[in-house]
Amino acid sequence: MSDDLRYVGKSYPVHDVAQKVTGELIYGSDLNFPGMLYAKLLLSPIAHGMVRSVDSSRAEALPGVLKVFSHLNSPADTYCRARLYPGQECAIDETLFSEHVRFVGDRVAAVVAISQAIAEAAVALIEVDYEELPALLTTKQALERSDVLIHADGNLLFEMQIESGERPDISGAVLVSSTTATPRVHHAALEPHVCVAQGHSTGGMTVWTTSQGAYGVRTVIADLLGLEYHKVRVIKAPMGGSFGGKTEFIVEPVTAFLAHETRRTVKLLFDREECIRATMVRPATETTIRTACAPDGQLLELEATTTLDSGGYASSTPDYADHMCKKVTKLYRLPHYDHRCQVVYTNTPVAGAARGWGAPEMITAVEIHLAKVAKRLRIDPVELRLKNLVQPFDIDPVTDMSLGDARVAECLERGAAAFDWTARRARATGKGRYRRGVGVACGAHKNGQFGSFAEASNMALKMNEDGTFELSASLHEPGCGVVTVMKIIVAEVLGVHPDLIAASEADTSATPFDYGTFGSRMTYVVGACAQATATELKASILAAAAEILETPLEELVAREGVVYVAGDERRSVAFRDIARLSHMKHVPAIQAATTYYATSNPGSYSVQFAEVEVDCATGLTAVTDFLAVGDVGRAINRGMVKAQFQGAVQMGIGYALYEHVDVDEAGRSGVDGFKNYHMVNAPDMPDIDVLIVEHEGDDGPFGAKSVGEVAMVPTAAAVVNAVNNALGTELSDLPLIPDRIIAALAANEGGEA
Amino acid sequence: MSTTDVVAPATTDELVAALSLATARTRLLAGGTDLVNDIRRPGRQPDRLIDLSHVAGLSYVRLDGDTLHVGAMTTFTELQSDPLVHEHAFCLERAASQVGSTQIRNVATIGGNIANASPCADGATALVALSADVTTLDGSGRRATQPLRDLLLGSGRTALAHDEAIIEFSFAALGDEHRSAFAKIGWRTAVSVARLSMALVVRFDPVAEALSEVRVGLGAVGETAFRDAILEGLLEGRPADEESARVLAEGCADAVRRSIPGRYSLPYKERAAVGLAYDAWNALRICLPCEPAWG
Amino acid sequence: MELLLKVNGTAWEISARPTARLIDVLRNQMGLTGTKEGCGEGECGACTVIVDGKAVNSCVMLAVQALGKEVLTVEGLAASGELDTLQQKFVEQGAVQCGFCTPGMLMSAKALLMANPLPSDQDIRKALAGNLCRCTGYKTIVAAVRAASGQETAAMEVPAEKEELLADLSVPGLAAPAPDVDAAGPASAPPRREGGE
Repeated sequence: MSDDLRYVGKSYPVHDVAQKVTGELIYGSDLNFPGMLYAKLLLSPIAHGMVRSVDSSRAEALPGVLKVFSHLNSPADTYCRARLYPGQECAIDETLFSEHVRFVGDRVAAVVAISQAIAEAAVALIEVDYEELPALLTTKQALERSDVLIHADGNLLFEMQIESGERPDISGAVLVSSTTATPRVHHAALEPHVCVAQGHSTGGMTVWTTSQGAYGVRTVIADLLGLEYHKVRVIKAPMGGSFGGKTEFIVEPVTAFLAHETRRTVKLLFDREECIRATMVRPATETTIRTACAPDGQLLELEATTTLDSGGYASSTPDYADHMCKKVTKLYRLPHYDHRCQVVYTNTPVAGAARGWGAPEMITAVEIHLAKVAKRLRIDPVELRLKNLVQPFDIDPVTDMSLGDARVAECLERGAAAFDWTARRARATGKGRYRRGVGVACGAHKNGQFGSFAEASNMALKMNEDGTFELSASLHEPGCGVVTVMKIIVAEVLGVHPDLIAASEADTSATPFDYGTFGSRMTYVVGACAQATATELKASILAAAAEILETPLEELVAREGVVYVAGDERRSVAFRDIARLSHMKHVPAIQAATTYYATSNPGSYSVQFAEVEVDCATGLTAVTDFLAVGDVGRAINRGMVKAQFQGAVQMGIGYALYEHVDVDEAGRSGVDGFKNYHMVNAPDMPDIDVLIVEHEGDDGPFGAKSVGEVAMVPTAAAVVNAVNNALGTELSDLPLIPDRIIAALAANEGGEA
Repeated sequence: MSTTDVVAPATTDELVAALSLATARTRLLAGGTDLVNDIRRPGRQPDRLIDLSHVAGLSYVRLDGDTLHVGAMTTFTELQSDPLVHEHAFCLERAASQVGSTQIRNVATIGGNIANASPCADGATALVALSADVTTLDGSGRRATQPLRDLLLGSGRTALAHDEAIIEFSFAALGDEHRSAFAKIGWRTAVSVARLSMALVVRFDPVAEALSEVRVGLGAVGETAFRDAILEGLLEGRPADEESARVLAEGCADAVRRSIPGRYSLPYKERAAVGLAYDAWNALRICLPCEPAWG
Repeated sequence: MELLLKVNGTAWEISARPTARLIDVLRNQMGLTGTKEGCGEGECGACTVIVDGKAVNSCVMLAVQALGKEVLTVEGLAASGELDTLQQKFVEQGAVQCGFCTPGMLMSAKALLMANPLPSDQDIRKALAGNLCRCTGYKTIVAAVRAASGQETAAMEVPAEKEELLADLSVPGLAAPAPDVDAAGPASAPPRREGGE
């Protein structure tokens, strides 16, 4: 592990921290323009039906209302909210407004008015007549009722099977089966969804988006409205969190349409209820796993079937499912792996991208399953995993790609020691009201999209005339320090402090193409691009210095913003002077532009340990201790790597114990705000420890790998396993809300209270 | 679009005058933590708001002889830190401290909490156990005092007329011979609406070692908070021992079963009721802490 | 309705609907967009401001309720452009990620420290119970509040200070053929930093 890095590996606040603590930063939801109009949507109150009529006369008669739109006066073209580029294979099943409403919250109409209050009042005056259709609220119902079509091509949206290896001899093997259900979850980014679009009189537009892919926004909007791409400018506005909930273009198409129609600036800002009902949820899944395991703990075979609930529209769920099927072999060596997956439409909230992209859902099932296997075989859960985990540079049989320097086994061993696993595990759980237990789970995730599509990024970097630098890249900062990481990487290469480097966020008119912030590609791929771009720029700086100092390039060294002649350091020229002199004499500007192609996609890993205390009277579970270990290659921003684990664990504990968006018999969720959507708050958050394992064994910048998503992958399973350890139960229906815990205890006790 | 107008009386006379003009669509603004969001919903816009926060003399805690008087506009933060409440109505202090978050407690009032009539209102559970009376003032200037229990009619419903404001709660102050406690079970430990709540008030004679004047308030398991006479009867005269804790717990579970038969949450609540009862019992601190036992 | 409100020490005369919420007046009429709306029902705390020394949710308070009271928002913390201690510690402890909860967290923390200058971690968590965060897991935020109270807190390891840009030109005249070091004067290298990071 090289220690001669000056900037990489230290801890930095986010690049715009000063503006955030003063409240100065203008987020998307703060944007305000002269003459700006406000939009409010009318959302379907029913889960399934046809809109028979829309009477907007009373709404349009309200003073201050410009217009009301619905399917009657908007394009009927379908689009895909997850499209990144033209020609990409996507499920294209969504329209701006629905005539066929497919879930409670589906877009039926929009009002554009001069104030938010008037827009809201007008929505209440729109009269819509629906013809209700049977609502299919579970994947089972949707598959059974072929007479009720949610979409024309049937309710089975997508299915796939992946198989690797062959069934070995499983005679004498112990067979274990389990089924795990994971819920629909609200991402709960603190800033609600918002978009501001400015329709120009000439027909073009400018769009401020808080999504994670400005170029994709442009593609979808321009294609939908028939505009040329160069006339649509999409700018990434500062955003208050996403966690995948803003990866896809939920509010942008409709806002752009309204702005285009009115040729005005229109703001569409969702309230919390709309965010819960009408944006996107993490998909609900059910996975049944069957393993054959040798008595000594060696896994011989893992067969899985997964059903994923896509909700009313496809969004990105086929791709999500594909990724779910490719998680297990990143983590465990399996002689035979067979995974079948079905993605099914239902008349429930749309499911789509969420942090971990299928890994939390799948790994939760796998790790709960392995806890059961360990119990059956009477092997310690850590020992069982150590027997089966992948090792560095294993080839993943499903993708045929190297997993890179996969250090998950080391994370498990070091974590178990740090957590004092064996001793805690040996302690009696108690039989009284409060029972303690410990659980462990391993998780894997990826580093970008190499293997799925041509994974690359483009950037430009220039040196200003005063020796400061500007990185032009289509970055999308959700708040986890993406911009800061790029600055640190560039700083390290150039040998100047990150404060001397400015890095932009995406603006399709100004920054080169990049797919966006998702798929755990930012550090590994986009960061590598930053490193390559900075390396190229540094070479240009040195070349200019060579001219200035009239010394061959090989005799020059650069350090802390100055180029020296090696061995004669009185001869030097500072970066700022190079810039100035170059302008006048040698080159008009010192700049570099590169395209970086990823050539690998290693695994990132995390192993997590939870200790819980369950109140067997109330069913409430307290997480009393927690350790997260991360194989992250190299921490670029050490403080942020730890902080990402801390935040991810908050989300994972919520996933395990509290959070779900369920629907009633009418397909309507009882959850409409934070009063009834319970997240972990400060009093209930345990003080978690984070251990970072760094081996720098892969191609990422300075050996770094992704962390933000993998951090959340094993969390829920660690907590669930701890609860099951405490109670002697085999709960696997998340979340483990008090009612479910009490029901399990009552069943165990033979029904006695 | 019609607008709501707001009047802010400064004295009780002005309040009476404002109340006399109230219609069925007039609402009273206490702390606002429920009302401000509610009036933004379609169909919930009032014609007028009467802002109670500037009326002099509605926020106080006073001991008058043996009676504790609590002004309706007293906030939960104030109740939580008032020495008289601590001394003479400890269960109310504990209930107040668990209403929402710091931000909510700083603004929400005991009067507003009762008038809002949520079945889960923590304040109601404590006041009902204290056998509190409620005093109201109406648009004719009439003051009326009645048991709080009679004012609470159901979920979101009180017996308040549209021109009637709660101005005070009063109850017999608890003395040295009393003990009281409040316990609540929510979805998480802090900032959660109650799924179950209990306020327990007993007179404990350490010489006779017996409990008397047992009052048990239960919340979130019925349309309103209520005292359960059967449960109280089970404890009356019993010693302060582990067996009594068990009796309370079983009785509490039974009370829950009687109160919400057939409710989907009954299997949960009848069991959690045991935990609730033990929490409340242990908080009385009249014997060593007890724990329920399961096989 | 005409309202006279005192916000961050300044008196404002505002014309607003009687049922305007305090958050609406602050954000839309006074341009104080630091106070955020995350839920509109007083649950997430992103809208927290301080009214007469007490933390309140401005999304469930009418502007009229703030009449005659002193309102402090996040914009009022940094007196004359200098970050106050609490803001400094949020920066230093890495307690800010997406930053949307940050103004509310700062105001709840400020109100806590005004009433309780030496809070325990439990006191801090309780005071922040009504402020939700989805990014940080609260740990760095609690550390920042503790640090602001002057109580011992582990520092987030921070990198070296950036050097000043060189003031002098350190290359010989461009017209000169070969560099004559002595003629040009000593090259001014940046001062070596004392000590480690």
